[in-house]
Amino acid sequence: MLEALRKKIQEIMPQVDGVIALRRVGKGTAPHLFLPGDDLSELALSPQFPLPTPVRIIQAKYPDKRFAVVVRGCDERQLVEMAKRRQIFLDKLTMIGVACTKEQAEYCRCEMPFPKQVDIGETVEGIPQTFLDDFLAKPREERLAFWKHAFAKCIKCYGCRNICPECFCKECVLEDNLWVTSGTVPPPFPMFHLIRAMHTVGKCVACGECERTCPADIPLTILYKLLKRDVETVFHYYAGADPNEPPLMDSTIFLADMDMLHPPRR
Amino acid sequence: MTPTHASEKPRIGVFVCYCGSNIAATVDVEKVAEYAATLPNVVFTQTNKYTCSDPGQEEIRKAIIEHKLNRVVIAACSPRMHEVTWRRLLQGTGLNPYLLQVANIREHVSWVHQDRGEATQKAKELVAAAVERVPLHEPLEPRQVKIAPSTLIVGGGIAGIQAALDIANAGYHVYLVEKQPSIGGNMAKLDKTFPTLDCAQCILAPKMVDAGRHENITLFSYSEVVSVEGHVGQFRVRIKRKPRYVKEDVCTGCGLCTQACVLKDRIPSEFEMGMGKRGAAYIPFPQAVPLKAIIDAEHCLLLTRGKCSMKCVKACGPGAIDFKQQEEYVEVEVGTIILATGFELYDMSALPQYGYGRYDNVLDGLQFERLCNASGPTEGRIVTKDGRVPESIAFLHCIGSRDENTNPYCSQLCCMHNLKLAHLAREKTHAKVYQFYIDIRAGGKGYEEFYKRVQHEGIHFIRGKGSEVIQDGDKLIVRAEDTLLGKVVEVPVDMVVLAIGMVPPKDIENVARIFNINRSRDGFFMEAHPKLRPAETNVEGVFLAGACQGPKDIPATVAHASAAAAQALSLMSRGQATIEPIIAEVIAEKCSACGECIVACPFKAIRMDEEARHAYVVSAMCKGCGTCVAACPSKSIKMAHFTDQQLIAEIEGILGRMSEYELA
Amino acid sequence: MSSPESNVQQPPYEPKIIGFLCNWCSYAGADLAGTSRLSYPPNIRIVRVQCSGRVSPELVLKAFHEGADGVIVLGCHIGDCHYIDGNHRTSKRIPMLRQLLAYAGIEPDRLRLEWVSAAEGERFATIVKEFTETVRELGPIKRVMVTG
Repeated sequence: MLEALRKKIQEIMPQVDGVIALRRVGKGTAPHLFLPGDDLSELALSPQFPLPTPVRIIQAKYPDKRFAVVVRGCDERQLVEMAKRRQIFLDKLTMIGVACTKEQAEYCRCEMPFPKQVDIGETVEGIPQTFLDDFLAKPREERLAFWKHAFAKCIKCYGCRNICPECFCKECVLEDNLWVTSGTVPPPFPMFHLIRAMHTVGKCVACGECERTCPADIPLTILYKLLKRDVETVFHYYAGADPNEPPLMDSTIFLADMDMLHPPRR
Repeated sequence: MTPTHASEKPRIGVFVCYCGSNIAATVDVEKVAEYAATLPNVVFTQTNKYTCSDPGQEEIRKAIIEHKLNRVVIAACSPRMHEVTWRRLLQGTGLNPYLLQVANIREHVSWVHQDRGEATQKAKELVAAAVERVPLHEPLEPRQVKIAPSTLIVGGGIAGIQAALDIANAGYHVYLVEKQPSIGGNMAKLDKTFPTLDCAQCILAPKMVDAGRHENITLFSYSEVVSVEGHVGQFRVRIKRKPRYVKEDVCTGCGLCTQACVLKDRIPSEFEMGMGKRGAAYIPFPQAVPLKAIIDAEHCLLLTRGKCSMKCVKACGPGAIDFKQQEEYVEVEVGTIILATGFELYDMSALPQYGYGRYDNVLDGLQFERLCNASGPTEGRIVTKDGRVPESIAFLHCIGSRDENTNPYCSQLCCMHNLKLAHLAREKTHAKVYQFYIDIRAGGKGYEEFYKRVQHEGIHFIRGKGSEVIQDGDKLIVRAEDTLLGKVVEVPVDMVVLAIGMVPPKDIENVARIFNINRSRDGFFMEAHPKLRPAETNVEGVFLAGACQGPKDIPATVAHASAAAAQALSLMSRGQATIEPIIAEVIAEKCSACGECIVACPFKAIRMDEEARHAYVVSAMCKGCGTCVAACPSKSIKMAHFTDQQLIAEIEGILGRMSEYELA
Repeated sequence: MSSPESNVQQPPYEPKIIGFLCNWCSYAGADLAGTSRLSYPPNIRIVRVQCSGRVSPELVLKAFHEGADGVIVLGCHIGDCHYIDGNHRTSKRIPMLRQLLAYAGIEPDRLRLEWVSAAEGERFATIVKEFTETVRELGPIKRVMVTG
């Protein structure tokens, strides 16, 4: 796979000013901007790291340059949502689509482990999200206890936010004492995490980086994926699917479908 | 600039209103004031008998000056009542008007709660919330807007015509938009008017002609308003002109095309309420303004089937007929708007028991008017469908009015209308006339006298609402309970006339949306205040005239229309108005240019500075809803007077005290 | 509701309710309830906003955090919004927040969204009565949230 990617990059390099991809650093990887003529021997595919944020930073710095980026399904969908919000510019970006392997998909519990256009690798099926239903089968008190326990571990490191490509605000409300009481760890239940969860609505593509980054192992994706599922079933909004579709919170309304929102009361 | 003292340490004055006994009966006003005195930053408290009255306002004014108050809390009625009054008061003392917070302890407390302890406690908390909030208020400068010297009037019935003439005669320009091919509305269909029995057309037609010819009136007949943008003083209105298929400037109104039309006398005439027929090329009625022919696209053979001998084209001397006409859109800018969209009759399909639309000789009041009218389909002879002179006629009151199953309200004019029609029936025939009524409402100048007069014209009054009409051979049987006799009566008659209730036009919802105004429970447009501001709406610069606000007879409609015109004129003659500075503002350095606010804004008032990478608000277009603020993930938009800090202070003020209550 | 006489047995829990009401429809509807002298429980405290679209999820969460046992958001009926379609956004945000509360194990019925027009004083009073009872049954917010 890596060899195929290397070939693809060599093929694309003459048409762009650089390729954003992963590079082996010690035992891990780091985002890297490969320039024409660069040695591609250290090119890497795993361990994975989200590349949309590096794209945002590099494009902001070189607005006139054209880059290519190696994307997995989640990266591509994130880039689309970011483009809708003017954080990256798709017209100056070439995507090199990589399908994730079955192991990777399972590791991420990914529903859609492939981008729209797959240049590298074989597409594998998504992982069914049955764990969401398992979670919802718990009585409410148990869910509450579950989150109270999970959020009590939060050390407010902001890792979930920092890794999230969709968190690009210059100033974050989570750091504003008006919304989240400063100076206490864990943050008072549940302001911090519910505000963040609401901010993922209509943007989150469920890459799961927040959860993997969290040093306290808070299973954030359960919360975010449940919301994402509602957004899809009720508002028919699929984050990252179509760059030409306006963001979720526009004036369109789905009154007939609104009844589908029956929150679990039990 | 007036000194605002805004930056100084807050010195809050709290004024608690008795509102006579309206508040004081349930809320211990003195206790609330005593409590307020213990709150932070409060340096002065006072109770007033009537905070809104002159003496009440004078006391506040004095206190502001004497005690150097820089923030004011008034606990009284709803801010929707008097906030504006008190803002003006603050301004008069040199204080910025927005350094005021009103705690609503009347509509939201004393009028809805009975327990004095609970009500007093709630009033205290609302005052505490206001005291927490008001130090965060910032002085705002009202925006001045110029008022364009022109009015849009929607609807060309008597209300629209009256308002148009009042305004045009005062020297301001009027754009009068009527969706029908002619102005005149429902009044044009009437034969006589109560109680004076003036000929309706004789008093209306001159006004129609005036409106049609007035140099200050631009008439758009057969047209509809499709959108309105902007605000008081500068409304941009888009008007759709539906194709008449007759060039208005060429047509002389001679009527030759209407005679020539292949479908002549084949299509039920709207003006004749279906009692008469017209062709596909027609002139709505002889006094129509503009007196121009129109081709009915729904029926015209050429327009529907593409095939016709086109006799109308051959008949038309000046060559006015133009089948290639398309919809046209016109844009006008106006300073004020008057809605005069009138009413419709209740849809009788929900009341099949009266046989309306099913039995030939069950008519509505307007159809009967057309029968009475000398230029109507029968040339003024009251006859049944098969040409008989009726020997008996029954008039049924309150059909689709005063009935929980249809409309709970009284349509106000049907009693008098029915009495007038009964009079006309007796005048023109020897028929026995019955009135089936619940009770007769004859409030109005000369109305009761007219009722008395009609009572002596040999009319049978049966006190009981007609419940059913049954066809029995040539006869119609009216069934009702005579509540005076306490028994069910069945009266056979030759003709039944129903006083069908007045309802808002079917498209009123759409009109309300276009002009952004509210409707009351009855579905008609809602006035700004039911007693004191009957012709205004909650949208500044938009006024109401006539039955679009609720059922009205002609005198009331004309008075209402003139009131609306006077309101519009007073705005235009002032030439400028202030609009609320409650608008959004982007904090550019915090903005990450994500554009969620642009997506959220219902008014497209937010744009993106792509170079500087931040959003900005076009202040003239912002109406201050705050939807953008809720959408902004980094809270980089501030909504003046409704900032997050202010709202949170209010919430904290309330909830802080509520827990105290809980502990007590 | 406890009367002054029975003050001794005052129930320990009286629900605290914050109502966010839009200025043009719902606040006017609440005013109409007053003008019509319709009675409803005193637990609701009304915070006026210009449009229900102004009510951000953060504000609702903040109200809970500050100790509100229930939050009710009232706006103009869909199609009647004074700001054309500001309430369309509300109609997405508030239901989504209800979902989130449920997922987090917090009773979603502590948050309610309704449309109340300026003409619906009775509807306002009825909704407030119902909602007060709902929140009374759910008990204090402190059971589920850490309040500030």
